Amino acid sequence: MEATKGFDIMNDISMPERRERPVDPMPKSPGPSEEGGGPKRPETGSPDKDNLLKRMRKVDPKQAERYRQRTGQ
Amino acid sequence: MRLFGIETEYGITRDDFGEVDSVVESMELVRAHLTASFERRWDYAGEDPHEDARGFRVSGLAQDKEEDEFAKVDAHRPFSFHEMKSDLVLPNGARFYNDHTHPEYSTPECRSLKDLLAHDRAGERIVQRAADRRNKRLGGAHVQLYKNNTDFHGHSYGCHDNYLVPRSIPFAKLVAGLLPFLVSRQVIAGAGKVGIEAQESGCVPGAFQLSQRADFMETELSVDTMHNRPIVNTRDEPHADRNKYRRLHLIIGDANMCEYATALKAGTTQLVLDLIERGAAPTLELEQPVAAVKQVSRDADLKATVRQTNGRTLSGLEIQEQYYAAAQRTLAGSHAESDWILREWGDTLRLLTQDRMPLIGKLDWVTKLWLLETFVREEQIGWDDPWLASLDLEYHNMNTERGLFLGLEAEGKAWRMTTDADVEQALSAGPQDTRGGLRGLCVRRFPDQIKSMQWERIQFAGGLVSKTLEMGDLFDPEDVKNCAAIFETALSPAEAVATWKQRKDLTS
Repeated sequence: MEATKGFDIMNDISMPERRERPVDPMPKSPGPSEEGGGPKRPETGSPDKDNLLKRMRKVDPKQAERYRQRTGQ
Repeated sequence: MRLFGIETEYGITRDDFGEVDSVVESMELVRAHLTASFERRWDYAGEDPHEDARGFRVSGLAQDKEEDEFAKVDAHRPFSFHEMKSDLVLPNGARFYNDHTHPEYSTPECRSLKDLLAHDRAGERIVQRAADRRNKRLGGAHVQLYKNNTDFHGHSYGCHDNYLVPRSIPFAKLVAGLLPFLVSRQVIAGAGKVGIEAQESGCVPGAFQLSQRADFMETELSVDTMHNRPIVNTRDEPHADRNKYRRLHLIIGDANMCEYATALKAGTTQLVLDLIERGAAPTLELEQPVAAVKQVSRDADLKATVRQTNGRTLSGLEIQEQYYAAAQRTLAGSHAESDWILREWGDTLRLLTQDRMPLIGKLDWVTKLWLLETFVREEQIGWDDPWLASLDLEYHNMNTERGLFLGLEAEGKAWRMTTDADVEQALSAGPQDTRGGLRGLCVRRFPDQIKSMQWERIQFAGGLVSKTLEMGDLFDPEDVKNCAAIFETALSPAEAVATWKQRKDLTS
């Protein structure tokens, strides 16, 4: 492992020197949904409302009113 | 698949100040990523937003006046232009910078949906980690980031999807094939929004619509991106050999939280580009595409119809079905990833006409609508309650403790199409089969010897001999891998550039 100037390799994106055998980070698969790195189906068709409602109730009702951004692209 | 990538501008807030300088906050956020001082690397020579794909050059953009005003204010800040931009090229080949007042993350160029999704998620993690560091320095969770496209007060910021296409396809043909598709793409890729707004105007609460960006579409074609926003952006900035390629730069799309929606957005667009290239796109011509974008967006029942120039009407869903049918006829069996997209596209359109529940956690607008409907019912509030816009905003919060979508995902209720290992890999390296991976490799191997970088070129410093890696036509995956193998083992960039040049001369 070699530090790269300007980036924190301990906490963020690490940058190993890839002198060793090249690895294929994305094994070939027929599509993103197939096994071997594909999606995980939700366990149920109906999300648990209680935890989400708890999180939603914590949202300040005035938050969007205060939210201001400059026009971007 | 053709090369593609996504640029995302994030909304940013800081809650411990009354008056926040958004330029400084965005700059500080990007720089929180660094552990050393900022070094100017990005080369802006390849950027010219005035070239128009219709074959001319515009003398000015609609935003120029506003930009000039910003520049006057910026001149009084104690930072240079480059310091304010803080343009970083990351070890995974991505670009992370301050796009004036928004932290922007551009994925490296990808060739597969799986890579695109992993790099989009890697971008989310990188910006949030920067926010975490910034907050640590500030002593509290004051800075929040939002992967959305509106401030609910008439200010929009973008999530652009880009595709490399052969210049041999006439631009007019691209436009004709794309317009109806893009008008209706929000049916599967909209992020959902509470209320109706317009450029520089307030928000009318109450309505739920499919898309965040639809309200901001003002014309069919334009080179502009900040005002007079077009369904098809005509900016001719290929970031590649302009004799051979164009970069289709789409600014109509919403920033998606659902990986599945991102996959469908980019995947179906890839297929439609294939159809156009083969002359097999549906021949649809809408009478008023700009109005149609809004009509489709503002009907979550998907019943609204838009008129074609032949007088017939179609719903957004029916337009999508026509494109899907053409793609199924023409492209089925051509590529494994195309087949995956076709299957999921077809299933999604079918579910949208039947039971939408299985699309929760897959499509953003369906997921958000479900959350809001649940909340309205539980709290017994009306659809004009301002709380709903706040919940809409919070759906897009990148803070894992607060974000509504991230909360849903943490419970395993949203489709993950990437694994954590995929995202970790995307944090540290770019795709191995694109120049994005090569760019990242150069950042990792020769960080001190890079003089400047941009999408199609890396210039190395030192010596009298020119040491520039040209990537404007470096798209063949085998070529990329051969070039990367040289840069992996060379003792210096000069040696790598010379060896690669020799290799090319031998094979050309």
